[in-house]
Amino acid sequence: MKRRHLLLAAAGAFAYGQTGSPGFYAIQNAMIHPASGPAIPNGTIVVRNGLIEAVGPSVPVPAGAWTIDGKGLHVYPGLIDALSTWGLPAAAPAAARPATPAADAPTGRRRGGGDETPANVQFLDDGGPEDRPSNTSWLKAGDLVQPADATLTAARNAGFTTAIVFPSTGVFAGQGSAVNLSGGRAGDMVVGSPVGQYVTLPTRSTAGFPASLMGSIAYVRQIYIDAEQYKAAKAMYAQNARGLQRPAYDRALEGVLESPRILLPATRKVDIDRMIRFGKELKIPVVLYGGAEAWRAADSLKASGVPILLNLKWPEHDRDGDPDAVESLRTLETRELAPSGAAALSKAGVRFAFYTTGLERPADVRRAVKRAVDAGLSNEEALRAMTLGAAEIYGVDDRLGSLENGKIANLFVTDGDWLAERTNVKMVFVDGKKFEPAPAPAGRAE
Amino acid sequence: MKLAAFLLATAAFAADDSFVLRNVTIHPVTSADIPNATLVVTGGKIADFGPKAAIPKGAKVIDAKGLHVYPGLIDSASNVGMSEISSVRESGDVNELGDFNPQLRAVSSVNPSSDHIPVTRGNGVTASLIYPGGGIIGGQAALMHLDGWTWEEMAVERNITMQMRIPTTTTSTFSQTFGAGRRPFAETKRRYEERLKLTGEFFEQARAYQRRKAAGGGGFTVDRKLEAMLPILEGKEQLLVFAARERAVKDALAFAAKENVKIVLAGVREPGTAVKEIAERKIPVILGETLELPLEEDSPYDSPFTLPGELYKAGVTFAFGTFSVQFARNLPFQAANAVGFGLPYEEALKAVTINAARIWGVDDRIGSIDKGKWADLILTDGDPLEGRSQVKQMWIQGRPVSLETRHTRLYEQYTKRP
Repeated sequence: MKRRHLLLAAAGAFAYGQTGSPGFYAIQNAMIHPASGPAIPNGTIVVRNGLIEAVGPSVPVPAGAWTIDGKGLHVYPGLIDALSTWGLPAAAPAAARPATPAADAPTGRRRGGGDETPANVQFLDDGGPEDRPSNTSWLKAGDLVQPADATLTAARNAGFTTAIVFPSTGVFAGQGSAVNLSGGRAGDMVVGSPVGQYVTLPTRSTAGFPASLMGSIAYVRQIYIDAEQYKAAKAMYAQNARGLQRPAYDRALEGVLESPRILLPATRKVDIDRMIRFGKELKIPVVLYGGAEAWRAADSLKASGVPILLNLKWPEHDRDGDPDAVESLRTLETRELAPSGAAALSKAGVRFAFYTTGLERPADVRRAVKRAVDAGLSNEEALRAMTLGAAEIYGVDDRLGSLENGKIANLFVTDGDWLAERTNVKMVFVDGKKFEPAPAPAGRAE
Repeated sequence: MKLAAFLLATAAFAADDSFVLRNVTIHPVTSADIPNATLVVTGGKIADFGPKAAIPKGAKVIDAKGLHVYPGLIDSASNVGMSEISSVRESGDVNELGDFNPQLRAVSSVNPSSDHIPVTRGNGVTASLIYPGGGIIGGQAALMHLDGWTWEEMAVERNITMQMRIPTTTTSTFSQTFGAGRRPFAETKRRYEERLKLTGEFFEQARAYQRRKAAGGGGFTVDRKLEAMLPILEGKEQLLVFAARERAVKDALAFAAKENVKIVLAGVREPGTAVKEIAERKIPVILGETLELPLEEDSPYDSPFTLPGELYKAGVTFAFGTFSVQFARNLPFQAANAVGFGLPYEEALKAVTINAARIWGVDDRIGSIDKGKWADLILTDGDPLEGRSQVKQMWIQGRPVSLETRHTRLYEQYTKRP
């Protein structure tokens, strides 16, 4: 008993002190939301060596653990941004890249749907070989992450512990990596890589081919045909090199072959249906992103089994717009119904996850999720879409996304329901390492 | 012998613009149709017409049994003759650079040998208001006959109106839902205000010039640009102001009131609540193509078709223009489309004949079959607004005009292919 007191005192001291962590914690008497199952009131979760050692209603606190009294606290799996540029080198100065329609949000480059030209990250994009324009498929985001980036800290303070980051320039922008939002070196942060190839389909580029939707689609199609042929030639050569001319090494195709799945933009229902068909044709698993009109496409998504990433930056009134313009019914409808897409997908049993591109502050993320909840999504499904749902889509749910024994100790602790307006994030654990956000001043995420 | 031949030739020439149509149904446009009538043309003008019009002695008589005669159609806005093939830069002469070019005259830019001229005639169009474009004030438009060896021969009125494009704040709305083609409104508005200011300043300059000229004095020198503005400032000439949407139309109306100038609105497409003011101020309107998408995504699909009927009901005087080179031939069908959507037939016909002539102040010469007017006539086998009708013969100022066109030549050529 006395010992426990001491421990608590020590934990308290740590909480307001700072240094070092033994990496061995037990949170007791907390409301635990595992995402993989129903909430556990008065539960205990034990974290050791970066992993979740135990979680449940009657888990004994092992000796030697720093015990945290979880009375009145909620424990959630760490949030995952399912499509992100956090921590990646910033875009080149505006002058060096093609004009983008909207101002870049600090959390990353605008990535609302399939329509815009991505910001041109000059030094990431050497243009690719001559016959492979707009292709940097070999890049891996995990290799490019800058651990000291302030964005990572801001996101972590809001309860995010993982981001699926992608290079974002070009038709074949490059490969994504699941990275934890803490670590001294990029290598420490990577949880899974590569997890997919990020594809944009420029429709109005001025930078050369492809500059139209039909051109972009034709180009992607050709790359996959070439990749198939390249793979066969390499296999043949590997079997018996003698007497054969070696197939020319092509890093653009290597990158494509390496990627376990392809991310395709799809905002409207027509895009969604088109990209589902396109994915079938490419014979590679497809993940769609965008989804402003997903509320209309739940059935086709369900039938195809294709998952979709929904942008939490719901369409909104254009502040720069013409004040006298009468907005079209379609604009109003999309604005009104986009947040209901998540509920529709959930009801239909479609796999989906959220991403935050375009949202600037943690409070905006919370409000955006809240809008999906207000439009019919259950609280549990909302949490799932930002944790386990994302992990499943990228095939990293064996290690991330829920509070289960043996998974990576990514979690965050709050003093209330995570979607409630006044809730504070008290602690965040990334890879078992504990962080405590500064007790919220008027802090912004960036 | 030589002299006799000469006289004969002269006689033939003189007789060339005099003839009589017999057994024809006359559609004067300004009065009721007259079946089985006679129309007498003398010296290029309509001398007499009616069921009992007397045939002058020795006149060339054409029996037009079963056929109809109408006044030639007038296109109230086109670029016919100013551009041949739009993708061949050298063949185009429509737009000049710079914001203010009132001194430019479309009349001398029209190519009398353009292949588009006979093609347009083929559907019954005898005259066209040909305007230049570019910048804010693009230059002076001419009313031209669609026949003549030179532009001088073609011209009905050399400088009849001044083309002007009112600065607007139009932002793209059709694909706004998904952020396409967006531009911050503040930027659009700044540019709009800048251009409106420029326009105001130009008019001020012109007025200052007008005062200097009136004052006379030694220091006065002629400025072609400002000189060309005088008929506008004096109210002798109308400005042809292009404005499609409600806001632009309202801007145009406000501009006309502020500068105290006469205007004709051109290319009006979605005037909204401005219709009332257009009617009250008796401002004529030149309507464009009916077979067109609406400007706004949520506008009724048929709004381009119903607009003429709505303007008519509101009491607005209007005529049709094609605002085109190669589609100028569709003028009659443009009017016909409106008939299917609420415009009385007679009004549609007037909008391509007498109303056009009235708007341009040439109804003393063209636009209807009336005594003393020029014999700009078409002889058809039916209603000229009807696509199946054929124009059998055309006269401009009483002279027969060939109806052979590039289209008929190609038709002949390929029907002969074995």
